Amino acid sequence: MIRLFAVTFLASLLVGPASGQQANPASPAPSNPGGMPAGTREQAPGVPAPHQTNDADRIFIHAAAIGGLAEVDAAKLAAKKGGRRVQEFAQRMIHDHAAANDRLSALATAESIPLPDRLDDEHSTMRDKLEQASGTQFDRTYIEGQITDHQKTAQLLEYEIGSGENADLKKLASDILPTVLDHLRMAQMINSESSQAAERAPR
Amino acid sequence: MPKALKLTFTLVGAAVLGMAALADSLPPDATYRPLPTLPLGQVRANDEAEKPLVAQRQQTLLQQRYDLSDRPIPDVMMSGLRKPVQGGVRVKLPAGVTWDSLADMSPDEIRQRGLLPAGFRPLPHVKQATGGQVFPNNEIDEIGRQEQRNLRRFDVDFDFPDRFTPEFPPPIFLTSHPELGDVSHGQLLTIKNYYQLMVGLITPVQMEGLRLLLTPFPQEEFNQTEDRKSADQSLGVTCLDCHANFHTNAAFHLTPDVRPQAARFRLDTVSLRGLFNQQLHGSKRSLRSVEDFTQFEQRTAYFNGDHVSAQRKGVHLPDRFDQVPMMAQMQNMIDFPPAPKLDPTGHLDPTKATAQELAGEQVFLGKGHCAQCHVPQTSFLDNNMHDLKLERFYDIGQTENGLVMLPDGPIKTFTLRGIKDSPPYMHDGRLLTLADTVEFFNLVLGLKLTQDEKDALVAYMLTL
Ligand code: HEC
Ligand code: HEC
Repeated sequence: MIRLFAVTFLASLLVGPASGQQANPASPAPSNPGGMPAGTREQAPGVPAPHQTNDADRIFIHAAAIGGLAEVDAAKLAAKKGGRRVQEFAQRMIHDHAAANDRLSALATAESIPLPDRLDDEHSTMRDKLEQASGTQFDRTYIEGQITDHQKTAQLLEYEIGSGENADLKKLASDILPTVLDHLRMAQMINSESSQAAERAPR
Repeated sequence: MPKALKLTFTLVGAAVLGMAALADSLPPDATYRPLPTLPLGQVRANDEAEKPLVAQRQQTLLQQRYDLSDRPIPDVMMSGLRKPVQGGVRVKLPAGVTWDSLADMSPDEIRQRGLLPAGFRPLPHVKQATGGQVFPNNEIDEIGRQEQRNLRRFDVDFDFPDRFTPEFPPPIFLTSHPELGDVSHGQLLTIKNYYQLMVGLITPVQMEGLRLLLTPFPQEEFNQTEDRKSADQSLGVTCLDCHANFHTNAAFHLTPDVRPQAARFRLDTVSLRGLFNQQLHGSKRSLRSVEDFTQFEQRTAYFNGDHVSAQRKGVHLPDRFDQVPMMAQMQNMIDFPPAPKLDPTGHLDPTKATAQELAGEQVFLGKGHCAQCHVPQTSFLDNNMHDLKLERFYDIGQTENGLVMLPDGPIKTFTLRGIKDSPPYMHDGRLLTLADTVEFFNLVLGLKLTQDEKDALVAYMLTL
């Protein structure tokens, strides 16, 4: 059942109206033909045929996947070790992503892009730090890491929206950017609340 | 959760949201202009084939946002009497609300219900991914006629209907000769006619400054290399190609101050009238002198703040000790259009203004808080930048026609002198009429103005 759903979803994603062909300002805008690599197959002049990627697309999908691994990993830890606010945030991170996760993996499969299966150095280091930390120090480390990661993700998505050529990947990026910025705002709020609380606390 | 699915989740699907993380930095083209990947011939063929689609997308967006119909305000012309001023609120409301019901809601409610009128949001470039300077047809035609220089792009055309741009050519008022009024003789200043039009009116150093302001220099889309958007090799662009007759023709480009490309907001050319009283220059950069801005416009308007790309296409760096001051001094001679109903302190003369205009001034000074930033005594400027925090009203990060809509942040207060002459309004040109700006500020400042007060404000701004 679930598999069937996934297949249908994948299909609708690939044949869906996401090719930038229609005059729907919400779908990916035409990209810059000057930025298409030589040899790109075109379905219409200037419009890359589906299932092709340029450097930006591949950099995007790779970085997004690594970030994804790290996110789930850290959120699971935070859901166990964090304070109340941090636990809520971590749950939200895990919960919010299901649909987008499916889309990313479906697209990666469709475009035959291998995805990384382990954390990079930056996130392994963060992971070690989180494992050693506890209490408010854990919360602070986790949330500060989340702020940095969400900032980077936002820039990464904006980069893909402007520089990618694969309409489906660009659409994925533009669909999830508002949520990423919302998460960033939440993390910033938790951070500023906790620093205010720390100031108020009697010394 | 079935095991297989769970595994996929952790391995690949892994939340894309919220976490990506790039141990390495983004590639250089996130900040720098990439070199072209295809021969010009192929880029051009592609661009030309895509052009109708690109235009149609933008028209769809404009139609969704605005009422573009021809509804001039009776008997109100721009200062040169060459074009009527369009009236009425043109931003379309979402279904089920009125301007009053919207004004009664909190910013949070408007944001959560997605009710901020689309026309209040940042306006995308016709082709955001490419960006660059886009000139209106009247400018293209006149420069073609006088100079045989081609300002037409093969990939995009100007998007707004002509009725929402300034009169063309705009009149020119000199601070050094107020008695003469408009000295343009109805012509567009170009490198061909400037001497004949200005000799006997301006000084030798102003004349040399004017010559430089009218001399084409290579620019990102108009140059000799394969990375250009004009069909023929181009000598480039002049300062007054956008600042037509020192006013504006509504040519636009993307802000040079932001990266990456998708986040760069549109910039509507500002008028250079009254430059002598402005202490901040540029909506974001806040440069402190006309000289600084003049010098740097070669880096920004011309090359998007990318000195690396400029180096390849041929950059003109005007000599700071001699040429820049001459260019600046010429610009500083340009006055606002006359406002016969204003007294020397910038207030309405009650013997000349109508009751409605006077009522509008009261709203401007009082309930509307307008004068707190647009100070009448100082050319309706406060020489400050303000963050209007529009993002209180909508969810940021949505993409429309390639533009990622983000908070505007602090923007310079623009003058309101001669304001009826310079549609479209705001730094990106997102508003078409003065009535639109009144609805915008009514909402953003939470003013709850009545319809009479709104109408009076518009009538008042038409006198400035
Ligand atoms: C794309 C057409 C375009 C061209 C060509 C152009 N400008 Fe501008 N100019 C603009 C825009 C748009 C702004 C507003 C910039 C901003 O808000 O950051 C501006 C702003 C200015 C300002 C600041 C006005 C103020 O007080 O804020 C000055 C001065 C100026 N330009 C001078 C020049 C000079 C000198 C040249 C030639 C070297 C030139 N411009 C070429 C579009 C242009
Ligand atoms: C907090 C300061 C502030 C107040 C108060 C304010 N403005 Fe402005 N105004 C600005 C700024 C800043 C801009 C430029 C905003 C932009 O381009 O994004 C602007 C732009 C404008 C413009 C467009 C100018 C142009 O050249 O495009 C108009 C018209 C205007 N304001 C009218 C009003 C009116 C009417 C009121 C009162 C109801 C008002 N403003 C109150 C700061 C203010």
